[in-house]
Amino acid sequence: MARKDEILSSFLKHEILTSKYELEKSDNPLTVREGLSSTKPIVKAIALIVDGLENPTPITDAALRNQIIQFLNETI
Amino acid sequence: MIIKKISIENFLCYYGVKEFELSDGLNIILGENGEGKTKFFEALDWLFSGDDSDLELLVSAKALEEAEVDSSFRVKVSIVVEQYDEKKIIGKSFVVKKKKANECSVSNYMLEGTEENKSGERIQVDGKKLLDRIFPFQIRRYSMFKGEAELDIFNNEDALMNLINLFSDAKYYDKYFEKGAFLRDKAEKAVEDSTKNDQKNKSLYEKLEWDIKQLAEEKYKISVHLNSTEEEIRKLEGNLQAAESHVKNADALDTINKRIKNIDEKISDLYGNIDENYTTSLFDENWIAVNFEPIHHEFADKVKQLSIQRRMLQSEFDKQKGIKEGERKARAELLNNSIPLPAGIPSKAHMEEMLKDKICKVCNTKSPEGSEPYKFMMKRLEEYLTSQAHKEEEAINEEPLFKNDYTNRLVNLSVSHEDNLKNLRGVRTRIKELFEFNNARKKDIEELNEQLEKEKAEREKILGNSNIAEEKLVDVLKNYNAWQNDLKQRNKEQVDYNSRLKVVEAELKTKREDKDNIDLKSANSFLIKTRAILRDIEIIFNDTKEMKFDEFIAKLQTKSNNFFGRINIESFTGTIVFTKRIKADKSFVDIELQEDGRTFYKPNQSLLTSMHISILFAISELASEIKEENFPMIFDAPTSSFGENKTAEFLNLIYETENQKILLIKDFLSTDKKTKALSIKKEFEHVNRKKAFWIKLERPFDKNNLKTINTQVITL
Repeated sequence: MARKDEILSSFLKHEILTSKYELEKSDNPLTVREGLSSTKPIVKAIALIVDGLENPTPITDAALRNQIIQFLNETI
Repeated sequence: MIIKKISIENFLCYYGVKEFELSDGLNIILGENGEGKTKFFEALDWLFSGDDSDLELLVSAKALEEAEVDSSFRVKVSIVVEQYDEKKIIGKSFVVKKKKANECSVSNYMLEGTEENKSGERIQVDGKKLLDRIFPFQIRRYSMFKGEAELDIFNNEDALMNLINLFSDAKYYDKYFEKGAFLRDKAEKAVEDSTKNDQKNKSLYEKLEWDIKQLAEEKYKISVHLNSTEEEIRKLEGNLQAAESHVKNADALDTINKRIKNIDEKISDLYGNIDENYTTSLFDENWIAVNFEPIHHEFADKVKQLSIQRRMLQSEFDKQKGIKEGERKARAELLNNSIPLPAGIPSKAHMEEMLKDKICKVCNTKSPEGSEPYKFMMKRLEEYLTSQAHKEEEAINEEPLFKNDYTNRLVNLSVSHEDNLKNLRGVRTRIKELFEFNNARKKDIEELNEQLEKEKAEREKILGNSNIAEEKLVDVLKNYNAWQNDLKQRNKEQVDYNSRLKVVEAELKTKREDKDNIDLKSANSFLIKTRAILRDIEIIFNDTKEMKFDEFIAKLQTKSNNFFGRINIESFTGTIVFTKRIKADKSFVDIELQEDGRTFYKPNQSLLTSMHISILFAISELASEIKEENFPMIFDAPTSSFGENKTAEFLNLIYETENQKILLIKDFLSTDKKTKALSIKKEFEHVNRKKAFWIKLERPFDKNNLKTINTQVITL
């Protein structure tokens, strides 16, 4: 498993995702690629952050924020 | 990475080129004290982190002695390592030029790197960069240990955190925590700006913002005080725990010191009461006259007799004198009861003139010879002449019988002696009493001295039982009492701060909820939702980071205890416990040896050493798992508190571990009592190892002359 996929998985294990967002752990994406395709806003937002930070050319704070806001704006 | 070969050339006791062909796994280097173990370690330490200072002190004295004046030779330490099937060589060296006997100049050092690829091609590279690449300095910090004391790197909380950051994932998650906070912060701001566009609740909203800011500042201040108080409490508890082992002794010492002081004062008082000035106060002044009484009686009798005799003589003298006086008075009364003219009137010359002229010129009467007037005048002349003679006799008779009153003085002396006799009669008693008094005080002093010796012996015993000096032991008690008071105070402060913190946090929560409620009514719903998601993402990132940290600590604890149990097989060890604590929003870890959840009371050095080694091995193993790379560990005399049997068990355990380990130990060597020859004990045959070496000084050598010192390397 690639490092960024491991990181995403470790975040998606958090109990808030089941308790508050009612996500089933079994439905969790296994890779960042899968996460970016998720229909769950919080999952995709986390996947976007992991993808941005684990990129060989790390994303800037402003670009990351814009990316997240734009995505959420379209989704929620 | 493993070290395949170590070469040491003309470095201190290593004269010429000495090579160690090492293996992966356990390498044991045996050596007696003073025969080159530590110099081996120092050679590697110099290679990895030494600088240019005092290079001439690293030169082999034997090499310098044997070199010709003006000739040069090299001091060098190098390693050949294998990493990812490639060979790399790192060497540090400098050139020594002999100027004259015992004097040399040295060049700066060179750190050379060589890389050899799989096809055997060699490339020269920057030595420092190569070293940091194959054996990073952060790893070296936890790979090389000199003696048992250095094993305990965990007393320094920063050292442990560096280590955890180096090997755990937690550090990696820091950036997610930072980004999560950044995104949430921006989302909060966007919501606030949106809400402020609604003028309806503007003033209330601004007041809430102000209150929240004030409360957040208040919370921060209380947290800082609370952290600092908790830190002080930890320190105080640590101090008290460390002092506790001494306090009993310190308390006993304090009591004994007070008793000793009391005895010393009593002895001093008793010495003050003893007056042994017998010579001047008694012997010279009175004692010499103590047998004077019979002499005095004899003297007093004689004086008495003399006094009587004198008084008798005086009485007789006075009697005679009285008679004469009586006669004189009687003669005076014969002059017709009239008062006679004084003798000499008329004068002798007139009287003789009238007798010659035979006329009484007083009454103008002729006075022929034989006539009554003539006889009268003649008698008168004779009386005068007689009176003149009588006066001389009387003058003689008026002399006192005794010109000096010696007798009286003798009597006074006798009376004075009689008075002194009363004192003299008491001299014996007084001397006796003084001797008795002084002896009694001396006996008291003797008893007190015996008591003092006992107390001092007791004190020595206490000090002997303590591993700290007397002054410090005295301080321990003072500090212990002060620390206890401080601890009470800090605990009280901690309760106060916690209670204040709860109040502020509750208030802050209420204000934030109020603010959120206004946001819900006034702000854009998209912004509210975005903020909610980003708030949760921040929580997820933070919790995951903490979880990674906890997982690493748990893993480290499990692995450490695994090694710990194996090193101390079949003996009670307790458990190594890693405890996380938060200080100023940062995580720290405390390591403690516990038994049933309580701090292990005074673990011995051997147990502590094995605990430290276990943690280091656990770290090494974790490093291998996480970094997917092995690094060697080098220990100089790590087990000096172990017995030989335990060392053997320990070495057999290390043998089973994966990483390369180089251990320098002095065990398994014996010296023949007669010949002083060194040999390796048979027990070493039962010690598992991949490679073993014996470093020993070339014999004969003069221990006072470095020029004769040369460490030989024997591969076993």
